[in-house]
Order: sequence, then structure tokens, then C-alpha cells
Amino acid sequence: MPREIALHGVYLPTVTLLFLIALGVTWGLDRVLAWIGLYRFTWHPALFRICLFVCLYGGMALFVYS
Amino acid sequence: MNRTSSLPGAEMLRRATLEWARSDGVTWVYILKVMTAAYLAMWLAMRLELPSPSTACVTVFIVMQPQSGHVFAKSFYRLLGSLIGLTVMVTLVALFAQERVLFLLSAALWIGLCTAGAARYRDYRGYACVLAGYTATLIGIPATTLPETAFMEAIWRLLEISVAVGCSTLVSAVILPKTTTAALHNALYLRFGAFAAFLLDGLRRKLERRAFVAGSVRFSSEAVGLEALRAASSFEDPHTRLRSGRLARLNSEFMTLTTRFHALHQLRERLHRQGREDLLAAIQPCVEPLEQLLEPLRNRPLTIEDAARLAERLERLSVETRAAIRTARACLGTVDEETLLDFDSCAELLYRLIDDLHNYSLTHASLAAHRHQREQWGQDFTPKANLLAATVAGIRAGLMILLFGAFWILTAWPSGGMFALNAVAVTSLVSSSPNPPRIALQMAGGAAIASVFGIVVGLFVLPQIDGFTMLVLVTAPVIAFGAFLCTRPRWAGYGPGVLIFFAFASLPANRTLFDPSGLINNYIALVLSMLVSAALIAVILPPNAPWLWRRLERDLRRRVVYAVSAPAQNLVTGFESGTRDLVVQAYGLAARSPEAQESLLRWMFLVLEVGHAVIELRREQDALPALPPYAAEVPWRRAIRAMGRALIRLFVQPSAENRQRALDAVQQAIDSAREAAEPYALHFEQAPVRRVLSYLHFIRASLLNPHSPLPPLPAPEPRHAA
Repeated sequence: MPREIALHGVYLPTVTLLFLIALGVTWGLDRVLAWIGLYRFTWHPALFRICLFVCLYGGMALFVYS
Repeated sequence: MNRTSSLPGAEMLRRATLEWARSDGVTWVYILKVMTAAYLAMWLAMRLELPSPSTACVTVFIVMQPQSGHVFAKSFYRLLGSLIGLTVMVTLVALFAQERVLFLLSAALWIGLCTAGAARYRDYRGYACVLAGYTATLIGIPATTLPETAFMEAIWRLLEISVAVGCSTLVSAVILPKTTTAALHNALYLRFGAFAAFLLDGLRRKLERRAFVAGSVRFSSEAVGLEALRAASSFEDPHTRLRSGRLARLNSEFMTLTTRFHALHQLRERLHRQGREDLLAAIQPCVEPLEQLLEPLRNRPLTIEDAARLAERLERLSVETRAAIRTARACLGTVDEETLLDFDSCAELLYRLIDDLHNYSLTHASLAAHRHQREQWGQDFTPKANLLAATVAGIRAGLMILLFGAFWILTAWPSGGMFALNAVAVTSLVSSSPNPPRIALQMAGGAAIASVFGIVVGLFVLPQIDGFTMLVLVTAPVIAFGAFLCTRPRWAGYGPGVLIFFAFASLPANRTLFDPSGLINNYIALVLSMLVSAALIAVILPPNAPWLWRRLERDLRRRVVYAVSAPAQNLVTGFESGTRDLVVQAYGLAARSPEAQESLLRWMFLVLEVGHAVIELRREQDALPALPPYAAEVPWRRAIRAMGRALIRLFVQPSAENRQRALDAVQQAIDSAREAAEPYALHFEQAPVRRVLSYLHFIRASLLNPHSPLPPLPAPEPRHAA
């Protein structure tokens, strides 16, 4: 994947865009997981959610820098 | 010392440690969290080479709260507000960059609008409005001298705010979180126990007037507070979000419950005052089972399992009460019409009270499940604010920016920009507190303290040190002190003052400048603008002055107009929540004048009584079967509509004459409903007109009440309703 993306003539680092995408995906996943009731089995739900986000974002960023 | 005597010492030490962890420990954890978030944000901002890490720090101080849900909600709306403010300000800069006067005028207009919005929405949306105005000034004022940098400034600020918001939410969610959800559940459980005690005391007539008033005020403010907790905790916890509708419903049902109990209590008190002990004794057998049922719940937190059990028992009790009421009426024998009406009103209210309790406990019990059909709840809590008060707040903020901006232009003071900016920030930040002049003054005191620390640190310490670690070590004491002040309610204004202004003026920018005269100039500007704003807030139509609570009292009376004429869709919750929100606001604002508070409460009681009865009347009429005696054009329904109009007139313009007219209209409605009433052989629950009659009777009694705040009737009262 390219490291920079041109958005209407403005160069943006791809990771910035991925950050926003990862936020959106995490939000959606979070809704689904809460609906299933997974958070009842987690020790620290907030930490779990943050880790989920970090994993997603990190995984996406690996496509850019690897 | 032998071993046996040292053992209790160890035990005591353990207990003391636990005690400390519960009280002061919480404070220290909070201070630690504030510092972690602030330094994390500052480090990130410096690492990312953002121009002013101090903005990030200030944002952290503004959004940090002890409970994580509030941090999330505040952060979310802070981002939203900043985004809007920046967009508007960049547009304004693009339009008026060359014309400083025009620019200031339009900026004043925008800021006034935002402040008015903040006073209008009394929740986190108001906070977003504050931020939209505040951020706009923060960018706009420097841009008047350097318009070409405005766009980049805006981008940098947004990045700094995002960094700070991210750090604060991360820290408050992960490090020893103190959740809003826990606070919400705790408040819910305890509230019912307190209410059960209140209800029992009321039913047994052990409640003095003062305790009754205090209880009513307490439950009203708890209802308003719970709504804020609910809004914040649905940001925080996915499980709470799944239950959000049920929590809102629970709160609404609780308000209905307190109103119903209030009506029953007033009716029984009136009967007692009139010496109708025989009637009270006749109804007593119906009340006793309820008392027995509630006795074990008095002052005990109601857990979800308790609620499920309570719901079951109440269901049975409801059937039993119906039978008991029938028996009691039979025992009453042949009595006159008025006594029968009194009995019917009392019995109906009691029966509905049990029904409300049953609903409440069902909803409470349903919180155990993830998904539940009681989640379907279309009614919203509607906070009410006074339009005039909001407008005044807006005009005040607009005027201030004009005044301060003019001063800045005329004197060409280098720190004048900061002077103007700070004044606006302060007015908007304090505009939502119950006593703005006092908070503003406290913040001025905080700014003064910050200036002492800031000048010492900035002139003598910062030049000596090198590196981020040293910076943390040097500034930590000041920040810890400020955070400590924030946790003490008495000094709540000083804390933010110290933190915000210290970070604002003394923390180094990303290209560190050593500028002693600039630093001192800035601090003078900060303290001065704080003082001037505090003075202006106290002088220009201060929000805690009599005019405002009189306006709010008028708004409170108009709730009856709402009850009579609002669409049926959100009627009950809208009425209950709006009325309580108004009372809580006005009660807080009138803190200095006990007479005003007293009069306010008397109006609240009257409005709740009449409004509740009117709403019940409307519901009864909506549920009527489609039969000729219940058609919309029969005389008694026409008379009820006429009574609604008379009530509106009375509550919009309370005068002796209007009171008499409203009484006549109620009497008229009672007379015509009596003609249409079903025969007594029919059960009460199958006789809608008789239920209507009982509510009409209740309204008449409220209007005749000699203790009501309505102006006294012109002629001596006729005997009829006694």
C-alpha cells in the first residue's frame, strides 16, 4: 500500500486514514460484541476495547510499513 | 509489648488503610490520573512537534473528571464543539480578515449565540456550544493580527485537542477506572430505599411538612441527576447502552410514582385537616397491606432480585387492594355525594400508586436481562431552560467580547488578545453553574495563585532545567495541588483556575521562548480579565438574581398549559421531567432567599397536582370506548375542555377572578359528569366517567386548598367542597 494518499490534492499519511477506519471498525465490532454479551466474560472491558482497537490499527498499519 | 496487644494494632492498621483507600485514596488516585493524562498528552504533543503542548494540557484539565463516563461524554462533545467553532472561525477570518471591527462584531455575535445555546441546553450539548464559542475566540483573536496563519492554527489546535482527548479517555478508562455505571447503579438502588422510607412515613402520617418538602426536592434533583448519569454512562459501558431505554423509563416511572404519592399524600392531609377521620379510617384497611409490603425495604438498597420479588408481590397486592376497596366502600354505607367522591379519589390514587410501584419494579427487575421488551420506550427526558435567561447569557458574552476587544484595539496592549479571549472563556465556562459570580471569583483566585507559581517556575526554574523528565518533576507539585483543589467541592472554582492558567501561560511551547516581560504581561492579563469578568457577571443581569427565578416560576406555572395542550406522545415524561428540571434550577438559583424557595415549592406542588390530574383526565378520555355516551360532543366532555381552557387562563395569569372562574368551570364539569356517571352497581374499573369524576374532584380540591400559592378567592368560600 502507498505510504501517502492524495485527498483532493492534499497528501495525507495513509496511517492517519487507517486510524479513522480502525476507529469506525472498532466501534462497529464493539456494538456487535456488546450485543452478543461478550463483555460479561472480560476482566476489564475498557482495556479489552482499547486492545481490540490497537490490534486492529496495528494490523492495518502493518500493511503499509512492512 | 506482647504479641496479643500488637495484633489489634495490625488489624486497626489494616482497617485504617482500607478507610483511607475509600476516602483520601480515591482523591490521590484521581490526582495521579490527572497528572498521568496531562504529561502523556504533553509528551505526545512535544514528540509530534505540535506548536503548543500547553493547549493539550489545558484540554486534559478541562475534560478530566473523577468518573470515566463523564470524561468520555465531555471529550466527545469537546471535539464536536471545537470542530464547529473552528469551521466557523476560519470562515469568518476568510470573510473579514482586513476589517478588524467587522470581524469583532461578527465574532461577538457568534460567541453570543454559542453562550445562549449553552444556557438553553442544560446537558452535554450545552458544553459543546460553550466549546464552539470558546475555540472560535481562541483561534479568531490571534488571527485578527495574523490572518494568514489562521488555517494552520486551526489545524494544530484540533490536533492538540484530539491528542489530549485521546490521552484523557485512555487514562480514565484504563487506570483504576471509577465508572459512572457503578455510580448510576448505586444511586438507583439507594434511591428506592429512601423513597420506600418516605412513602411509609407519608402513609403513616409521620411525615412533617418540612420533611415532606425536603424529600420532594431531593427526589426531584435525583431524577435530574440520574438522567445526566445515564447520558454519561451510555458512552462508557456497552451494557448500559443496551439498557439505556430501560433506565430512562425507570427514571420516568419513578417521577410518575413520586407525583402520584404526592397527590395521595395531599388528599389525605386535606381530609385530616378537615377532621374526616372516619373516612381515613375506612380507607386504612386498603393501605395496610402496602405498608407491610414496603416495611422490609425501608432504607435498604433495592437490588434487581429484590425488585423481581417486589413486582410479584405487588401484582398480587393489586388484586387484593381492588377487593379491599370494594369492601371498604360497602362498609361506608350510604353517605353524601362529596364523601363518596373523596373516597373514590383516595381509592383511585391508592390503586394507581400500587400500579405505578408495580411498573417501576418490573422495569427495575428487567435490568437483569440484556434484551428486554421494556427497552422499547419512546419518551424522552426533556430539560427545560428559560429562553430569556439563555438570551441574556448570550448578550452578556457578546457584549463582553466587544468591550474587551475594543479595549485591546484602543490600547494596543500586547496581551490584550489573551485578555479578551480569557474573559470569554470564563463567562462561557461558568455560565452553566448555579452561582456563576462566585465560581468566576474563585477562578480569579485560582488564576492569582497560578500566576505566583507560574512566574516563579517560569523565571527561575525553567531556565535551569533540561529535558522532559525534569519538566515533569518541576511542574508536578503545582499540578498536583491544582488537581487536589478540584476534588474539594468548597474550592471547586480554584482548582481549574490554577490548572488551566498555569498550563496556559507557563508550560513551554514547542520552540521554547524565554520572555519574562511577556510572561508577566500575560499573567496580569489573565488575572485582570478574570476579575473583570467576575465583576461583569455579577453586574449585568446576574443569573442568580430575583428576575430569573421569577421567570422560572412563571415557566413552572406554564407547565399546566403543557399538560392541557401538549401532544399526547411524550406527555407524561415531558411534563414530569420538564417540571422537575425547572424546579431544580430555580431552587438552586434562589439559594439566597428561603421565601422564594418556599413559594417556588408551593407552586411546584400545585402544578404537579393539577398537571397530574389533567393528564390522567386526558388519558381516561383517550381510552374511552367508542359508544354514544362517551362521544366527544357529550356535555361532560365539553365541560372538561372548557375547564382546561379556564385552567390555562388561571395558570398563565393567576388572579382571584381567574381562580373563581376555574373553580366554576371545574364545578360545571363535575355536575355534568355526575349526570353521565355510571351506576354504582358497576365496578370502578369499568366506570370511566366515575374515574374522571374522581380526578375532577381532586382538581377542585387543589384549587380550593387555602395553602396554595394562588391569590385568595374574592368571596368567602362556599361550603360545597369543604
